[in-house]
Amino acid sequence: MKLRVYLIGMAVLALRFGCALPAADLNVLAAASLSDALKEIAKTYEPASGDKLLLNLAASSTLARQIKEGAPADVFFSADEAKMDDLAKSGLLAADTRLSLLSNTLVIVVGSEGGAVITTPADLAKPAVGRIALAEPQTVPAGIYAKEYLQKAGLWKQIIDKIVPTENVRACLAAVESGNVDAGIVYKTDVLISKKVKIGYEVAIADGPKISYPLAVLKASKNAEAARRFAAYLASAEARAVFAKYGFLPAP
Amino acid sequence: MSAEVWEVTWFTMGVAALSTLLILPFGLLLAWLLARRDWPGKSVVETLVALPLVMPPVATGLLLLKLLGRRGPLGGWLEAHPGWEIIFTWRGVVAATAVMSFPLLVRTARVAFEGVNPRLEQVARTLGAGPWRVFATVTLPLAARGLVAGALLAFARALGEFGATIMVAGFIPGKTATLALSIYHLVQLGRDDEALALLAVSVAIAFGAVWASEWFLRRKKT
Amino acid sequence: MKVELSGLRLTLTNFTLEVDAVLTGRVAAVFGASGAGKTSLLEIIAGLRRPVTGAVHVGDTVLTDAGTRTFVPVERRAVGYVPQDGALFPHLSVRQNLTYGSHPQQSAPSGLTFEHVVGVLEIAALTDRGISTLSGGEKQRVALGRALLAAPRLLLLDEPLAGLDAPLRERLLPYFIRVRDEFSIPMIYVTHSPDEVMALCDEVLLLERGRVGYQGAPAAIFVPATGKRYMLARS
Repeated sequence: MKLRVYLIGMAVLALRFGCALPAADLNVLAAASLSDALKEIAKTYEPASGDKLLLNLAASSTLARQIKEGAPADVFFSADEAKMDDLAKSGLLAADTRLSLLSNTLVIVVGSEGGAVITTPADLAKPAVGRIALAEPQTVPAGIYAKEYLQKAGLWKQIIDKIVPTENVRACLAAVESGNVDAGIVYKTDVLISKKVKIGYEVAIADGPKISYPLAVLKASKNAEAARRFAAYLASAEARAVFAKYGFLPAP
Repeated sequence: MSAEVWEVTWFTMGVAALSTLLILPFGLLLAWLLARRDWPGKSVVETLVALPLVMPPVATGLLLLKLLGRRGPLGGWLEAHPGWEIIFTWRGVVAATAVMSFPLLVRTARVAFEGVNPRLEQVARTLGAGPWRVFATVTLPLAARGLVAGALLAFARALGEFGATIMVAGFIPGKTATLALSIYHLVQLGRDDEALALLAVSVAIAFGAVWASEWFLRRKKT
Repeated sequence: MKVELSGLRLTLTNFTLEVDAVLTGRVAAVFGASGAGKTSLLEIIAGLRRPVTGAVHVGDTVLTDAGTRTFVPVERRAVGYVPQDGALFPHLSVRQNLTYGSHPQQSAPSGLTFEHVVGVLEIAALTDRGISTLSGGEKQRVALGRALLAAPRLLLLDEPLAGLDAPLRERLLPYFIRVRDEFSIPMIYVTHSPDEVMALCDEVLLLERGRVGYQGAPAAIFVPATGKRYMLARS
């Protein structure tokens, strides 16, 4: 008798709370360079929308691969178009949700205390610069952009032996911060949140590669509506202001 | 097998062999001390030696990175001597694999030394042999099988090391590309077929090394 | 040759070993039940264990003195030790075992040449064999030969015949007697067999739970029992 009362009571409570909050858990897979901006955006968005944002921040190449292998994902925010194209070709994007949102600048950084002195890109080829960290130049957008730039500047062949590839652009930043490499190429937005590196040279937009951050909702998303809502929010004025605060530029 | 696969294979076997050779003297000494001597704090030493076996390899790698990095206590000194940097070089691979395989060597060697009847060592001394002669003519020959098995096991472990290696040496094609790191890298690039070729080589070598180790352990004294 | 054991004390598992004795015979027996401390006493004399207090003198030489912190390392004592199971080196041949402790310039006058020792112990035919092919009795003889060939000043034997059956023991005992008579090396012979004591030893040290119960002539404490056997007289 008592047991039955207890079970009914539990069921009522479950119904009451279960129905009250149609909250979604959104898997947001985003490029590592967006970490800080997105975390701040999440702080505003989560209480307002009632949805929970599960941020998976890593190299866009790693994330794209995970999506292709079926990892749960609702929104993908990549640091280059190539990764998004790849998913589009595989038919994994929800129709009409793709949008190129942001851009960025490349900078050559050195440790803020001591270490190498770099004022022009050609300084990278100097013997004093022994090791240069880049995000993996074959797959990670930051590395691909860096390689593109260095090739354009005619420096790639000279510095290729000094390159230490890292898993993503934040790992590249960390390598420079640790002092274990002499210099690195990261996004300007990464430098702005770090206290332990300083800019040696900022690549002018005209000289650098075309950097574009596209955003899309995934077709396999289990919370398509909530995902679209979030994607739309990211394009809103409020969100853009946060991105601008962190140094991102609008899409080219 | 393609030229790159050969290169990666030889590099991996080379660093694994070098790493094993480096840990042999100190490892055997420590194993002997653990087998034959008691001292205050012995259990602390035993636990420390066992740590790399139990800790996540990346955690051990992180410790090494902090220690041997340019700003680390040892790294700073090393960087001052050109050609001695550890991080992001093949020396880092050797360092990481040496630390990770050290406990396996010590454990196996310790058991091998403990398997030598201490009475034999004592009698040898009563016959006029000093401690070094006893070690060379009695202990070592009788423990030899187990010691070789331990070295082979350490070698096999060094071949497969990943977590600590990627922390300390990173993956730099042509400089620190071991079999394990290359497999990981190729998978990240989506080149699974090439990764499978390396996988096959890894399995073959590891199989051979462990088989040989077991063979040494299995052979009973006649 | 005198072996002086003065004020030796060593804590063992169940009791304390306390020995104060001077042994002067050609072969001194250390007699007692299992666990009476006999092996520990031998280990102290050989330098394999250190007593808490006390001293060991062999002839004029101090080997151990806990008081003055004197301790001669095992390998320099020239005290031979044949443990209970012989402890032959399994990875060496019989010949290599025999010659392990001997020096090339062995003094022939002492009679301790390879040929002579091997002859007395009748193990010439075994010299090129492996240890695992030897019988129990052969192993004991080789162990004895190995200890002799190291030219010790004192020989310690820990129950050398204990693991063997009665007929084998009867066959082997004469070899020990032969060794006693051929080579003038004093021996300390641990045993729990009254027959061996009576056959081989000039004096006996009786150990009971680590304490010396009696020291002196064997005939005083062993009386004939049934057949040709002896037994300990109830005191």
